[in-house]
Amino acid sequence: MGVALIVGTAKGAAVLTSGDRDRWSEEFVLQGWPVTASVRDDLGRTYVAVSSPNFGVALFTSDDLRTWKQLESAPRYRPEDRGNPEHHRLVAKMDFEGKLKGGGRFVDQIWTLHAAHGALYAGVSEAGLFVSRDRGASWQPVDGFNEQPGRESWAPGFGGLGLHTILTDAKDPGRMWVGVSAAGFFRTDDGGKTWMRKDDGVHAFGGNCVHHVAHDPDNAPVLYRQEHFGVYKSDDGGDTWRVMEDGLPVTDMSDGHRCAFGFPMIHDRRSGATFAVPLDGDNFRFPRGGQLAVYRSTDGTNWHPLTNGLPSNCFAGVLRGSMAGDQMAPGGLYFGTTAGAIYASANLGESWKEIASNLPRIMSVDAYVT
Amino acid sequence: MSHEASASIRVQLPPLLRNLMGGERWLTGDGDSIMAVLADLGRKHPSLALHFFDEQGALRHNIAFVHDGAVVRAREATTHAVEPGDELILTTALAGG
Repeated sequence: MGVALIVGTAKGAAVLTSGDRDRWSEEFVLQGWPVTASVRDDLGRTYVAVSSPNFGVALFTSDDLRTWKQLESAPRYRPEDRGNPEHHRLVAKMDFEGKLKGGGRFVDQIWTLHAAHGALYAGVSEAGLFVSRDRGASWQPVDGFNEQPGRESWAPGFGGLGLHTILTDAKDPGRMWVGVSAAGFFRTDDGGKTWMRKDDGVHAFGGNCVHHVAHDPDNAPVLYRQEHFGVYKSDDGGDTWRVMEDGLPVTDMSDGHRCAFGFPMIHDRRSGATFAVPLDGDNFRFPRGGQLAVYRSTDGTNWHPLTNGLPSNCFAGVLRGSMAGDQMAPGGLYFGTTAGAIYASANLGESWKEIASNLPRIMSVDAYVT
Repeated sequence: MSHEASASIRVQLPPLLRNLMGGERWLTGDGDSIMAVLADLGRKHPSLALHFFDEQGALRHNIAFVHDGAVVRAREATTHAVEPGDELILTTALAGG
C-alpha cells in the first residue's frame, strides 16, 4: 500500500504520492487557487476546497488525483442570513474604500472537510457547518449549529470565526463535535439539532479560542485539544477537561498565562499516540529557538520531543490543518510549514525527512492510503 | 473559438477561470449591462456563477472590468451599460501578494 498527500497551499495543491513512504513523486495541481482543505469519501473520491479572496469558495473532485473537476455547488449561506460585522471587518468584504459590506453572512473560506456516515461535512468561516448527502452535488446548512442562540455574541479574533475542526463518533451517527476559532468547542448528541458548549475547565480570554482537536473516532469521547491557551485532554466527550502539558514547552502568553501554544493536534489510532507542534507563544508563533519539533504523547499525560531530522534553524509555523497521519502500521506522519516545506516520518515521528520544499505557504495536509 | 454574431457581448476570462472552461479565453453572453451579461454567463455556466456572485447575489467585490479602455468596478456593474458587439475584460482589482 502507498500513500497520497494532498497539500493545500496558498497558490495550489501539491499532490505527493509514494509506494513505500520513502520516495515521493510530486505534482502541483489547481494552480493559482488557495487550497484550504481536502477529504476522501468512502467511495474513494477526493474533494479539495479552494477559498479565493477574489472568486470565493468552490470544491474540486478527483477519482485519480490527476484530473480535477469543479462541482457546481458549494456551501453558501442564504441571502437572508445575517452576518457578524466584526468578522467582516477582520477577514472579509472590505472594499477598496474601506467600507464594510454589512448585513449578510458569507462563506469566505472552507476550513475543513470531513466524511462520515455517508455524508460530507464542511466547516467554514463565517463560523458555519454544512452537510452534503449527495457527494457534494448540493449543500445544506446545519441550522441547529449555525443559528444557535448566542451566536451573535461570538467575538472573532484576528483570524475571524472559522469552523476548523469536525469530529464524528464512528459508533453513534448522532454525535459529533466542532471547533470554532474564538468561539469554542461544541458537541451535538442529536444529529446536529442542538449543540452544547464544551469548554468547562479550559482557560479563556474573553471567549474560548480552540485551535484544533483530535481523537480516535472508534474511541470518540477521548479528546485531545490544542487551545490558544494550552493543551487539554477530555475522557468524557468534552464534558470536563484537564491540562495535559507535562513535557511540553510552556511560555508566557499575551495575557500573562503560561501554557503550551501551537496549532495542529493529531492522533494515531493504532498506537494511541498523540502529536503536537508547539510554537513559542502567541507573540512569536515559531518554534522556540528555531528548533522545529514534534511532540508525542503515548500515555495521555506526558509529552516527549521528536527532532531527529528536523531543522534547528526554522522560524516558520505549522498551521492547524497542516498535519496528518496515514493511520498505517507503523503510523506515518506528515506536516507542512508556512515556509513551504513538508516533513514526513514513517515511524511515528522517531525520524523525519523533508520530502518537499519551495511550496507556497502550506494551509492543509491530508494523507490517504492508496 | 467561435465568435457569435455581434448581438452578444464578448467577455474575456482571467487565466484562473479559463481552466474551468476548458481553456476558453472568451465567452459570449447577452445583456444590456455588465451585471446582466455576467448573470447570463452564470446561467450558462453554473461553475462560473459561484465565482461571479456572492450569497447576496452581488458581484464579488474584488472583481473589476475593463470596458472601452476604462476600469469598471463591481459596484458600478449593475448600471454600467454595454451594447451588442462590446468586449469586456473580467479582471480582479489590483492588490499586492
